[in-house]
Amino acid sequence: MFDEKMLLDLQSTLGSRGILISFSGRFSQGIIEELGEAIMEHMKAEDRPRNDIYNVFAIFVEITHNIKKYALSQLGSDFYDQIYNSGIVTIGRNEEGYFICSGNLVKKTDAEKLANALDSVIPLDKDQLKKRYKEQMKKELPPGSTGAGLGLIDIARKSSKPMHYSMRDMQDLAFFTLTVMV
Amino acid sequence: MEKLLIESTKATPLIDFDSDKSMLVLKGQSYPENAFKFYDPVFNWIDSYLATNPQEIHVEVRLSYVNTSSSKCIMMLLESFEKAFQRGVNLQLNWYCDMENESEVECAEEFKEDMTFPFEIIPEAAKNH
Repeated sequence: MFDEKMLLDLQSTLGSRGILISFSGRFSQGIIEELGEAIMEHMKAEDRPRNDIYNVFAIFVEITHNIKKYALSQLGSDFYDQIYNSGIVTIGRNEEGYFICSGNLVKKTDAEKLANALDSVIPLDKDQLKKRYKEQMKKELPPGSTGAGLGLIDIARKSSKPMHYSMRDMQDLAFFTLTVMV
Repeated sequence: MEKLLIESTKATPLIDFDSDKSMLVLKGQSYPENAFKFYDPVFNWIDSYLATNPQEIHVEVRLSYVNTSSSKCIMMLLESFEKAFQRGVNLQLNWYCDMENESEVECAEEFKEDMTFPFEIIPEAAKNH
């Protein structure tokens, strides 16, 4: 029910977790730009180091573009709308620094691919990540590619701690979450 | 040859390529929805321009943020410049950076590592921070 109690509860949940910005629903390029700018302005007002602002913004852009591209790739599937509407991203701050948490529904077969890709990136140290990034950068892309396959490596490079992910079965799909610290 | 002028938006940089002055400028942020689509006319223009056998080329880059798919496109542009340089074109690239931003500098340095043409990273006082 939409009542003031619900709004207050929601606000108090966001506040108690240190969440500064949250969005749940379909990510459009316009929303990504506006939210990205909002978090940048917020961090500037808090006098955060430029590097942190840049990294939070960059991770936010890569994550939301990934969610959006994945949703668009499901066009024509029975789960298209369900997947497209399932995106959620929160950006906040706790005692360890800034965090970017995202969640979205994915097909189970894709969940496995995603887990494999993450498992191959998460254990790498900064030098190994740079090497992996450069190798991927030099690969010829198949025609019609919408991404360069660099997003997860870039997120790992910009995070201050190893990324954490989870998958939860939701009937035919899986809810994938990713947490990144800066 | 026609100039290539694409005005900047929040997520796409200004592209100001002037063949008469042999001056190519990229300025702004780059994180469009589809980087390959955005840079496609840029690649096409560069191919036609390089086919005119220019003697010299000046490139000025001021990109405060480049997402990964745009980075791939920038790398493809730099590779075209590298080939032109190998053929004897007098090429100079100046990449202006906010030196207080490690990630921005690192991004420029990594592009530079793979190129042999004159590639200078120049400190710029940040205006947008």
